[in-house]
Amino acid sequence: MTPVYWGLLAEIVLAGAAAAFAFLPGERARSRLAGGTCAALGAAGVVTGVLAMTGGAGGLEIAVAVPVEPLRFAPDPLGGLFIVLASSVGLLISLAGAVSVHGAAASRTAWLALPLFLVGMQLVPAAADAPSFLLVWEAMALGSTILLLAGHTASRRVSSATVWYAVMSQLSFLLIVAGFAVLSAAAGGTSFAALSSVSPTSAPAAVAVVLLVLGFGSKAGLVPLHVWLPRAHPEAPSHVSAAMSAAMVKMGVYGILVVVVRLVPGGPDWWGILLLVLGGVSAVYGILQASIASDLKVLLAYSTTENVGLIVLAIGASVLLSAHGVDAAAGCALVAALLLAVSHAVFKVTLFLAAGSVLHATGERNLDRLGGLGRRMPWTAAAFGIAALGAAALPISSGFVAEWMLLQSLVHGTRVDGVPVSVTVSIAMPLVVAVVALTAGLGVLTFVKAYGIGFLARPRSAAVAEAHESPVLVRVVLVIAAAGVVLLGLVPGPLATAVASVLPGGPEAVVATAGLLGVDLVAFDAILDPVALVLLAGVLATLVVAATVQAAWRHPQRIDASVWGGGGLRAQPRMQYTATSFAEPVVRVFDDVLQPARDVEVTHAGESRYLVNRVTFSQSVTDLVERGLYRPVLRVVDRFGVLARRIQNGSIHLYLTYSFIAIIVVLVVATL
Amino acid sequence: MTESTYAELIGLCAGALLLTSVLTVWYRSQRASIRALALQGVALAALVAVVAVDRSEAELIVVAALVLVLKGMVLPWVLSRRPAPATGAPAPPQRGAGSAGDHGAGDHGAGDHGAGDHGAGDHGAETPMLNPVATLVAAALLGIVAYAVIWPLVAGSASPAAHAAPVGIAMVLIGFLVLVTRRRAISQLVGFLALDNGIATVAFLVSGGVPILIEFGVSLDILLVTLILQVFSRRMRAVFGDTDVDRMRELRD
Repeated sequence: MTPVYWGLLAEIVLAGAAAAFAFLPGERARSRLAGGTCAALGAAGVVTGVLAMTGGAGGLEIAVAVPVEPLRFAPDPLGGLFIVLASSVGLLISLAGAVSVHGAAASRTAWLALPLFLVGMQLVPAAADAPSFLLVWEAMALGSTILLLAGHTASRRVSSATVWYAVMSQLSFLLIVAGFAVLSAAAGGTSFAALSSVSPTSAPAAVAVVLLVLGFGSKAGLVPLHVWLPRAHPEAPSHVSAAMSAAMVKMGVYGILVVVVRLVPGGPDWWGILLLVLGGVSAVYGILQASIASDLKVLLAYSTTENVGLIVLAIGASVLLSAHGVDAAAGCALVAALLLAVSHAVFKVTLFLAAGSVLHATGERNLDRLGGLGRRMPWTAAAFGIAALGAAALPISSGFVAEWMLLQSLVHGTRVDGVPVSVTVSIAMPLVVAVVALTAGLGVLTFVKAYGIGFLARPRSAAVAEAHESPVLVRVVLVIAAAGVVLLGLVPGPLATAVASVLPGGPEAVVATAGLLGVDLVAFDAILDPVALVLLAGVLATLVVAATVQAAWRHPQRIDASVWGGGGLRAQPRMQYTATSFAEPVVRVFDDVLQPARDVEVTHAGESRYLVNRVTFSQSVTDLVERGLYRPVLRVVDRFGVLARRIQNGSIHLYLTYSFIAIIVVLVVATL
Repeated sequence: MTESTYAELIGLCAGALLLTSVLTVWYRSQRASIRALALQGVALAALVAVVAVDRSEAELIVVAALVLVLKGMVLPWVLSRRPAPATGAPAPPQRGAGSAGDHGAGDHGAGDHGAGDHGAGDHGAETPMLNPVATLVAAALLGIVAYAVIWPLVAGSASPAAHAAPVGIAMVLIGFLVLVTRRRAISQLVGFLALDNGIATVAFLVSGGVPILIEFGVSLDILLVTLILQVFSRRMRAVFGDTDVDRMRELRD
């Protein structure tokens, strides 16, 4: 009966209560009560997670009717961190959802599925054996699928997205089950403690790791298993896509961490290379697609692939480095991975909730038709802007600290005491640094586009011009989340120490707090102190501003006139850059990778060849992986599906005949 | 009761059960099948009564009465209930658009000789997937299979009841055959109940029945299933005009 036990119990009870509230009549009462209870569920999760992070022992055992061992939920510190992460996201999105949902997203089904989804997500990191893990994993997958399906009557794309998502979820589940099965068979038990007895160099461990990494990678949205992300995130209700992107994909990351840190630590270096390749490809491909996407939520979805790619890349670097004995850099990379996960959760929940507010206010997701929201929705715009800083990994956000730490570990990883450790590492690390650098650059471009086109300049459509700010509670949530982005970036020292303390090695050898809450990478003697930097920048800025004001004071009169205005309006909204035109240089540079389809249609005025009436330009970029990998596979599957239809033709007589024949065959076989 | 009388009575009941089973397959008229099913219920009750007397168990007498009431009377009555006002008048035309024309003929003309009956009314004859001769041949083959399969199991037993056990299995298989070959929902119900009777027969012959509590539970289940399916078939008739389950192919997606 430890505190952790009560915390886990409270989570389950609150989830049940929220599910009960979902049956209330009246959309408003239902949303308020169920949403509020979901928020309480998140709060309970945060407390439980913090207890587990600080070494709280104990857990929950649920006896099941079938003769197997009881389900055990006993989070370790690493699990505790991910519980905190999932629960805080759950808390924020429940609050925002309680006041902002309407229509299908506020239906009984949707409010029933949300607690299932949230409690599943909060219990995944608490599971202490494989069956419990798989059970809550499925609860999470089921809940999110139902939530995604909520709006299926409104648009056909929702059902298509749900099918993609469900298939990829189940594919991922199958791979995970297979991985755990291989590991359990080798270990002779299903509890994580038993599973960790498998030698990392044995053949079963290798098979299991590949299966598990692919399974978890599918949930995490790694290329080439990412295809569900850009479909599911845009179609889900915004608070749900926030939870899916900020928290659910992190469960895939958690799964990979459990495998390489907890179950079979100290694996050979090719595991690291596998993760590095998966992560690197995902990061570059994800951010490239994001940088050219003009649908705001698709952009955010691809950015999720990029961030998860970076996290997995950091994990891979850690595995590779520790396989070659560079323990300090390995530990640092792992802390960087966790920091990336935390910061991505914080800024992505902000971005998705802000995008949801925009969608709610304008009915538009297409950046080409947005614009000028900064003045109309100042709170949302500010929150989006701050979170975009985090997503672009610019100082003083949390994303910056995490990427800085990752780069530090990569740069310092090739040598121990000035001696190169191995050829593999010496080749891999510079390549990885290049990948991270390219990703960071494109990331800045992407979020400059998202913020600049979406929120600055002038409205590009009538609906946007009449946008209104979101409800108060949503604004409060946005402010809290955006403040989180900045705060985590301002206090990297305590944050990194707390995060590092959940890892087996502890924080001492890796990070320490230095200066004004800054972080000190002990092994490399590198210090980052954002507060000091901010103060310094503040002093400098004050001086500059003072000088400027003084100069302006001296020349008070200044008349602005448009230079080439010719007496007309300076700028029509259509003269502005659009998202598509802003991204055009990137599309040209990466033409071979993206293979966009362009179409220019010129309509002439009358018979004239020289007078143009209108020009229509359209450009579409299809997902290369989807076209090259999934479509051929789907065609083959489809062909077999048509064949299978003959067996399953809907006639009940045929089905009865199958059973009849089966009975007779069994009887005859039993007699022989 | 002497040993030989007992054996003869068991044989008589088992024979009656098998005969009624075959009759349910053979008859094409639904009414006749239902009547055969009622007879089968009575025969099953008689079988239970014989076993009860032989074992001198009062509890089994109660079971026999239960079987008689449920399988001999209630279930056949439920099955034969008319969906429309049961006055014998032709069904209202809006019901059963496809078969309304010959509905009345089916009702009245559905004699007890299913093979010769060609009325197409919903409650009357039906057109099974197999012709009657093939059905009888199939039933015979199933009887042989049942015997071949069960005999090695009961050969060692001295009890005449156990020796009759293959009849129960044959009833199960024949009931299944009805399920597979009939098109109309009610006929399929008949097959389902015949199948259930077969299971009960095996239970009574081999072990003198199951505990009365379980017997009650199973009986209640059967009654519920029958009632629900009866309601379903009414709805089907209301929607499609008849109860040919082949019409429901499109519901699979």
